[in-house]
Amino acid sequence: MRDAYVVGAGQSDFGSFPDESYRSLFRSAFEHALDGTAVEPDDVDEATIGTLGVGGRQLGLPGPAVTEHVGLDGIPTTRVENACAASGYAVRQGVQAIRSGMADLVLAGGVEVMTDVSSDAVRYWLGVSGETEWERLSGTTFAGVYAQMASAHMREYGTTVDQLSHVAVKNHANGAKNPHAQLGFECSLEDASSAPTVADPLTLYHCCPTTDGAAAVLLASEDAVDRFTDARVRVAGVGAGSDRVGLFQRDTYSGVPASRRAADTAYERAGAGPEDLDFAEVHDCFAIAELMAYEDIGLCERGEAGPYIASGATRPDGETPVNTSGGLKSKGHPIGATGAGQVVEAFDQLTGGAGDRQLDAPEVGLTHNVGGSGGAAVVHLLEREHDWSDVEDGEVTA
Amino acid sequence: MSDLAITGVGAYAPRLRIDADAFAEAWGRFEASGVERKAVAEADEDTLTMAAAAAGRALDAAGIDGDELAGLSLATTTPPLAEEELVVRLGSMLGAPGTATHHQFTASTRAGMRALAAALDAERSPMLVVAADCPRAEPPDEREHAAGAGAAAFVLTPGEGARVVAHGEYTTPRPGERFRESGDDRVQGLGVTSYDRAVFHDALAGAAADAGIDEPDVSAAAVQAPDGKRPYRATGPLGVDSEAIQTCATVQDLGDTGAASVPLSLARALADDHDRVLAAAYGSGAGADVFLVETETPVAAELAIEGDLDLSYPEYLRRRGDLDGQDPEGGGAYVPVPTWKRSLAQRHRLVAGRCPECGALAFPPEGACTDCGALVQYDAVTLPGHGTVEAVTRIGRGGAPPEFATQQVRSGAFGVVVVAFDGPDGGVVSAPAQVTDHDPEADGELAVGDRVEAVVRRVYTQENVTRYGFKVRPADD
Repeated sequence: MRDAYVVGAGQSDFGSFPDESYRSLFRSAFEHALDGTAVEPDDVDEATIGTLGVGGRQLGLPGPAVTEHVGLDGIPTTRVENACAASGYAVRQGVQAIRSGMADLVLAGGVEVMTDVSSDAVRYWLGVSGETEWERLSGTTFAGVYAQMASAHMREYGTTVDQLSHVAVKNHANGAKNPHAQLGFECSLEDASSAPTVADPLTLYHCCPTTDGAAAVLLASEDAVDRFTDARVRVAGVGAGSDRVGLFQRDTYSGVPASRRAADTAYERAGAGPEDLDFAEVHDCFAIAELMAYEDIGLCERGEAGPYIASGATRPDGETPVNTSGGLKSKGHPIGATGAGQVVEAFDQLTGGAGDRQLDAPEVGLTHNVGGSGGAAVVHLLEREHDWSDVEDGEVTA
Repeated sequence: MSDLAITGVGAYAPRLRIDADAFAEAWGRFEASGVERKAVAEADEDTLTMAAAAAGRALDAAGIDGDELAGLSLATTTPPLAEEELVVRLGSMLGAPGTATHHQFTASTRAGMRALAAALDAERSPMLVVAADCPRAEPPDEREHAAGAGAAAFVLTPGEGARVVAHGEYTTPRPGERFRESGDDRVQGLGVTSYDRAVFHDALAGAAADAGIDEPDVSAAAVQAPDGKRPYRATGPLGVDSEAIQTCATVQDLGDTGAASVPLSLARALADDHDRVLAAAYGSGAGADVFLVETETPVAAELAIEGDLDLSYPEYLRRRGDLDGQDPEGGGAYVPVPTWKRSLAQRHRLVAGRCPECGALAFPPEGACTDCGALVQYDAVTLPGHGTVEAVTRIGRGGAPPEFATQQVRSGAFGVVVVAFDGPDGGVVSAPAQVTDHDPEADGELAVGDRVEAVVRRVYTQENVTRYGFKVRPADD
């Protein structure tokens, strides 16, 4: 089986862009992904595009709708929909295409436009990714389901509201250094804990924003990678898992079993473990999701996530920095673009392109992308193969 | 008279109450004499859900399962739909067989006692008669000031219990006293005081005479109560004293409960072991029914008509939907009516499945077993309806799916829980449920580990079809 490499990755700004279309946002991401690579559009063999449906306006064929827009007429293009894990799975599907030998260069990305529909319509489009007949019709959307998970975590492990707030404080501090972030401001623990309640115990600061944006990742085979870049970032491990869509049918409410399966598989395939990580980008759509992710990907023991974040372990200067991009909380959560956007941050960190957020020569990073409230999850382990001595001012020089 | 006796009685009134004082404050005066406070239906309640609540209690009291019923009748002047037999959905909620007779009585406040008379005449048993009502009128109208909410239900079987020993009826054409136009949900009247009083008196007198009742010598009299004063104007024609009326009256606490007015008072009288009770129902148009009920053995009764949450007048208007905004954009989760119909056993009666391979409970009972993974055909088991909260949140306005927006405008934030429902023979199975009848300020926060019980309520309305299903409310056990 051939190895797959990330040779380029880019994203649009994340935020609210009344003057942009989902296609123009995707173009921006695509152009950024091409930057610094030798990739020409003609080199792209196929594309996989993640989207939930950009607010319903392009449910059919959204893949070709964006690839034609960036001049990739004619290539095989597939839309991947796994709710908020759509483009995480798109990346995984791109890796599969390369490993199988069907393609040498794949564009894997995602796009979503959510801010130009009414707040009711947004809740509609978010809610349809939950378990519809029972869970949603009990009157809840994702904020409610994650709040239920928070209630179970708090009950089982004594997790506190302030520990949830630490997620917001850290991710806003990180996002403030990310020029692509939607909410690039800092917040205090007090701000986060005393904000209005969205779904008890989650406050506004415990919830990610509604976002427009696109992200694109260029994946190359080991046979072709050297044609396109010197910044060799290997996809060392991929794992994915699914679970009951409805929370009520799962074995646990205080963790995401699909995440655990995805992480275990990715570690096994990479021959690595959580101790090997230099950083991680995890799915923090709600603060409790980031805490559960720590436990599910093995950064700490089950039930320990609250004290773990409060210890500072996941800050940029901590033992395993998490969400240096600002995460979904600060960078933004354009549903279909989120998973690919995490790979963009990991690629930037591993190639020295993370600007003010740059960590000190990281070697291995993990991305963790969850669909719905845990009905699907996908994890990628990315590993730097070039020398850090080649990196100067955020550019690989050799 | 009939071989059937009343062997089980149930009654239900919503927990919400509004005081006459709150009306007086809003309107300068209160128009419904003798009503001190009244019951108000929650935003997710209507006559069908109240009927189900009263009926469930009556069946429990009588020790009868819904699937044993040979017939059931629903009486109401305020059916949520003008056309469509809602009694069929009531039957589904109770688990009544499709071959049971399903009858619906409406158009008059004496419909409840008309339903009882018809059930006694039918040669089927066990029979269930349910009356539920929540009338409304224009805000300043005296009928609106009086309008309450409640339901009562009677199980009729050949056994010993309370027996109707005399029944008489009488009609006399008197238009304009109280009526509701087609397509309107508010009753009105001309307010010709002496005319209104006379017809009430004349109709009841005629029915009492038809029943051959002169001096009935009863300790309790259940008399139609459009307000708190009118029933006492019937002491003369009925040959009863004020005390007998007062002892089982509900109007002062529940308001005008329309077709359920006399059934509720009768339920209370039977629950209080009165052994000789007069029941006198009046309906505009006008007609009256008078019954004499004698109790051979005490009737098993389960009444839940106490209120525990007082509303302000604006809160009352919100509950009634008088302050609703526009329907939200964006639609709702589209669950087609046929899809919803396939899950009625779960929604109406909490029918779960038991895995024939591993014995685990499954809800809903479809798909592979969540415990052992086997792709099986489940054995149907009905959950008793009590459970423990496993996960909880509270959804404020703006946080719920659009299809709950109207409900939230009316009744505000609501809880949503994952409940581990008790199995009938051990084991538990989890299901998500909305919390109703719970106000954190009045009742305290709902927490993981708390006990809850299932009730059938309105879930949401889409394409003008209201979907009814279980929710949960705090339980004492």
